[in-house]
Amino acid sequence: MSGVPGFVLSGFAPVVVAVAERCLRRRYGTGPVPSQTRTGVVLVSASGDLVSAEHVRETVESGGRVGPLFFFQSVPNSVAGHIAARWGLRGPVVCLSPTGDPYADGVAEADLLRYDGDADEVLLILIEQAPDTPTEAVAVLLGGGAQP
Amino acid sequence: MAEPRVVQLTGVHAVSALGRGAQAQLAGTPAFGPVRRFDTTARRVTVAATLPDAGTLADELAAAIDAACRVAGLDAARRTGCALLLAVHGGPAASALADQLAVRCGLSGRIRVYTSACVSASTAVADAATLITRGDVDRVVVAAGYLVEPDQFALFDAGRALADDGVVRPFSTRRRGLLLGDGVAAVVLESRAETRRGVEPVATVAGWGRAGDAFHPCQPDPTGAGLARAIGAALRRAGLPPQAVGYVNANATGTAQSDAAEAAALRQALDGYAGQVPISSTKALHGHALEASGLLELVVTALALRHGELPVNAGWAGPDEACPLNVILEHPRRATATHALTLNAAFGGANTALLVGTP
Repeated sequence: MSGVPGFVLSGFAPVVVAVAERCLRRRYGTGPVPSQTRTGVVLVSASGDLVSAEHVRETVESGGRVGPLFFFQSVPNSVAGHIAARWGLRGPVVCLSPTGDPYADGVAEADLLRYDGDADEVLLILIEQAPDTPTEAVAVLLGGGAQP
Repeated sequence: MAEPRVVQLTGVHAVSALGRGAQAQLAGTPAFGPVRRFDTTARRVTVAATLPDAGTLADELAAAIDAACRVAGLDAARRTGCALLLAVHGGPAASALADQLAVRCGLSGRIRVYTSACVSASTAVADAATLITRGDVDRVVVAAGYLVEPDQFALFDAGRALADDGVVRPFSTRRRGLLLGDGVAAVVLESRAETRRGVEPVATVAGWGRAGDAFHPCQPDPTGAGLARAIGAALRRAGLPPQAVGYVNANATGTAQSDAAEAAALRQALDGYAGQVPISSTKALHGHALEASGLLELVVTALALRHGELPVNAGWAGPDEACPLNVILEHPRRATATHALTLNAAFGGANTALLVGTP
């Protein structure tokens, strides 16, 4: 799996990008998404980027200086924005920490954005990081292109 | 025919370095000072807007939710079944915090936790409004909190995002960045039918919009196209023209590119009216409360409309030709506005617009 320019140390962003690219390629080939389609991004993660957060916490606790790239890496929006820029996803960007079933939370949010008309379709990404286990993620495209 | 469901703000509460309680947020003097909460000697910038007696985030959020519910007249029975949408920084503790708050505050409806950086709270408000207008629920509590802490402070410092002259200067020449600030807020949103029990609403949430830039992981689109679409969606939802907006509480963080992009968005969305509508960014007073900023600024905007006094854009050092706007300078401006926009933007090109109306 290749890295993502501007993202360092953690597998969070590369895994998110890998599953998102795989999902979007199935619908849109090499992209981008047609400009009349507003594709939202909903990223659901209980852990967040655990590896980056731990690195920042340890660095700060020891009185050190954190690298500037961690500034934007510290929030999940940034990798969602990377995907949005690459594929032309002009819908809302929403990140959630699940309170129950992550897929159900994500689908409910996607449904709300589509009902409201701010998104025609939603790229839903579920990702979790845990210590000593591989980062796991899945992406699914919900809805079907521009609404008439 | 069924009456359209109107979303009303029936209870609001906020805490920032400006003070405790919603009314305290209308103070017109910046609340920045040296950070004493943790060691900043390794940082370029050592200033933020912190509340000296701030408790833990959980305690402050619980107190804010209770206060907002009291204002809305929600007794224990009326809190039962009420949804809680919480906006906080993400991580393993976020959903546990939401569960804990729901139990402490007696809210037993659905829970959702937003971790979308600086549009977390405003997205939660938009979603709450949608849940109410769709008829899913009659009542939602939205709460949001950020208390200045060492990790985010170090990250913003490392990213050279903080104003090294210790002043936030939105839309101004010589603006050098943002400063962080404490912010904890809670609001109760209800359908008009629910508020017929006799509670006087603070404001209505008349429109809302969310849109993405599709531009860059952390830089705003200089054309402002995404934010302009969010503003357009909010106005369309309310069925109002740009000229109905009597005040804009801008996202403006005091950052060179972001403020210019926001000015471009306003020109796109409001046409020639962008140069006329009174505008300020209250981040120059209470600082940037990150995940909580959208809710703190919603409370400020709602109260500004209610009192007919629009907050000042502090820190002004002179005009910037990239931001040709009607900035509120020197002192708050009296106005009879009936609608106001409060705007937020975040990394990832995420944008939101909330249109607040008088009840």
